[in-house]
Amino acid sequence: MSRFLKLAAGLTAAATVLTLSACGAGDPSAGAASGGAPAPLRVGVSVYDQSSFITAGQEGMKSYAKANNIDLLWNSANLDVSTQASQIDQYVNAKVDAIIVVPVQAGSLQAQVASAKAAGIPMLDVNASLASTEVAASVQPDDVAAGAQEMQMMADKLGGKGNIVVLQGPIGQSAQIDRQKGIDQVLTKYPDIKILAKDTANWKRDEAVNKMKNWISGFDKIDGVVSQNDDMGLGALQALKEAGQSKPIVGIDGIEDGLNAVKNGDFIGTSLQNGTVELSTGLAVAAALAKKQQVDTKPVYNMPAITQKNVDVAIQHVVTNRDEFLAGLPDLVSKNLQTGNIAYEGIPGQEQK
Amino acid sequence: MTVSTSPPTAQGTEATPVGAPTRRFSRDWVVEQLIRRAMLIVMLLIIAFFSYRSLRFSSLDNVQTILVAAAPFALIALGQTLVILTGGIDLSVGSVIAVAAMAAASVAKAHPGQVWLTVLTALVVGAAAGAVNGVLVSRVDVPPFIATLGMLTAGSGIAYVIGHGAPINGLGAEFGSIANTKVLGLQIPVILMILGIVGLGIAMRRTAYGMRVYAVGGNRLAAEIAGVNARRVLFSVYTISGLLAGLSGVMLASRVISGPPNLGSGYELDAIAAVVIGGASLMGGRGSVWGTALGLFLIQTLNNGLDILLVPSYWQSVIKGVLIVAAVAVDVWSAKRRV
Repeated sequence: MSRFLKLAAGLTAAATVLTLSACGAGDPSAGAASGGAPAPLRVGVSVYDQSSFITAGQEGMKSYAKANNIDLLWNSANLDVSTQASQIDQYVNAKVDAIIVVPVQAGSLQAQVASAKAAGIPMLDVNASLASTEVAASVQPDDVAAGAQEMQMMADKLGGKGNIVVLQGPIGQSAQIDRQKGIDQVLTKYPDIKILAKDTANWKRDEAVNKMKNWISGFDKIDGVVSQNDDMGLGALQALKEAGQSKPIVGIDGIEDGLNAVKNGDFIGTSLQNGTVELSTGLAVAAALAKKQQVDTKPVYNMPAITQKNVDVAIQHVVTNRDEFLAGLPDLVSKNLQTGNIAYEGIPGQEQK
Repeated sequence: MTVSTSPPTAQGTEATPVGAPTRRFSRDWVVEQLIRRAMLIVMLLIIAFFSYRSLRFSSLDNVQTILVAAAPFALIALGQTLVILTGGIDLSVGSVIAVAAMAAASVAKAHPGQVWLTVLTALVVGAAAGAVNGVLVSRVDVPPFIATLGMLTAGSGIAYVIGHGAPINGLGAEFGSIANTKVLGLQIPVILMILGIVGLGIAMRRTAYGMRVYAVGGNRLAAEIAGVNARRVLFSVYTISGLLAGLSGVMLASRVISGPPNLGSGYELDAIAAVVIGGASLMGGRGSVWGTALGLFLIQTLNNGLDILLVPSYWQSVIKGVLIVAAVAVDVWSAKRRV
């Protein structure tokens, strides 16, 4: 189903752009709020939950909002699609200048997208796709590329040969499907790497530790652990420690503990999905659309690979030098939207182009 | 399938079979035994099957793996057993785990070296949450389902409040030492589980307190007439359940050296399942700690064996669901036969 939706979305991508420009030009009611005096722009945000990713993103958005005269209206849907739907309905009724959704569920909220569009309010999906042709813009991470990136790191580490296990996100979630797609793409190049086992641990450390422990019981020779996020990788690390083993582990997301694991060699690497940067970019695009400025409506967030070589900079941005990073964020985000690489944050190996 | 034996007071019907005693080793006797011990037999069959399919299943290392995974569930299932024996239910334990774990993690973050303070915090927080449930149920007479549902909902929020909306990461190695230290070759959670099962198992069958719990669950009015302070018993079981959930929470968090606010979500259902598979009646008065332990190890053995045989998680859920209903169905059926 969701694959079909994605296909549909892909086929009509070009049509979207046309629709959007038509909408922006032909809708007289939308201009009311942004007239003359510097009244702050009101942007409504509905996030799936207050996860650590979202909390980091919220800090970034606040920083960007403050620097750009934006009022943020904030709501968390507590992982409930219908709660999220009514939050967006409220934003539409309140006639905000733009709406940002970090969806609970990919492909949901079609009715809300339509009503926002009818009201002339630009609505964006960030981080997970609503798979709608009618959203004004979409800021998405490339999860397929992230999956491919982590699998490539593992393949290089194993010299193209060995047995791996894969810890997956909740089955059916778009990030899980896409990251697995990336893993599988790379694996087709390495016939000598075999997946012994793959199953979900629902992004959770405490589930992953037991799952991994059971796999260690079941298999003689596990050469590496490919985890679709850092938390599950850290669970696997604990399981291996309990069994007195040490194997290469790779994760995705670049959370604090994951970055520390890369630094001290417990992980061979991770991919940094910096919520602070990704969500602020969403806000920047929303603000541009509300002001009817030219902006890339489909920017893609490509997660930088983090290894022991560049992990120190990532740790500074995410943990230790956070205030400084947040202070420079509004300029960084604006610059990134011009250059095109919205994931750029000056980590060695990244290019600002 | 009743692995439980009621204590001598209050409910005598269980220990002494109703009707004419059947002769040993007669056909009826064998059938009777098979039905009564159905869960034990199922457990042995499952172990035999997994051992046959995978040589590694029955290795000592794997037994340890099962025990470590079982321990946090065992603690909450024990508390749940007491609550269910009184005819109540504690839906809040999953959230109490999260609140206690987050409280412990935040203490550990602020005072990295203070391991005992960390554990004490989790215990106090857990017991306090349980005590609130206990007061609501025993004094305010809020139905247990509602009182603990409220705590489940509020607790899941409080866990996020403690972490300011995010997991507590970057905890030191000292925090990990709570659950990852080995004594006599066993990890601390495993030792706590064994102590809990044996201690509570004996307490419920051999002490006056145990008898009061059964009595209140069997027939509260009769128990009160007999001089049992039912309110105090009810308050105590919810507090114990909260305390054990707090202990479970700090063990879970310490094992993975992290304070995730969604820790333990859904665990209450696994705990209730273990109690029910173990032969307890949700109406109260019937069930036992030993039965719960059996139910718990049945679930954990399935988790482990199905993982080793590479059965996907969603199929594992289907299998567990069928097992829960089948266990209760057999129980009801055998109860009818006996009358």
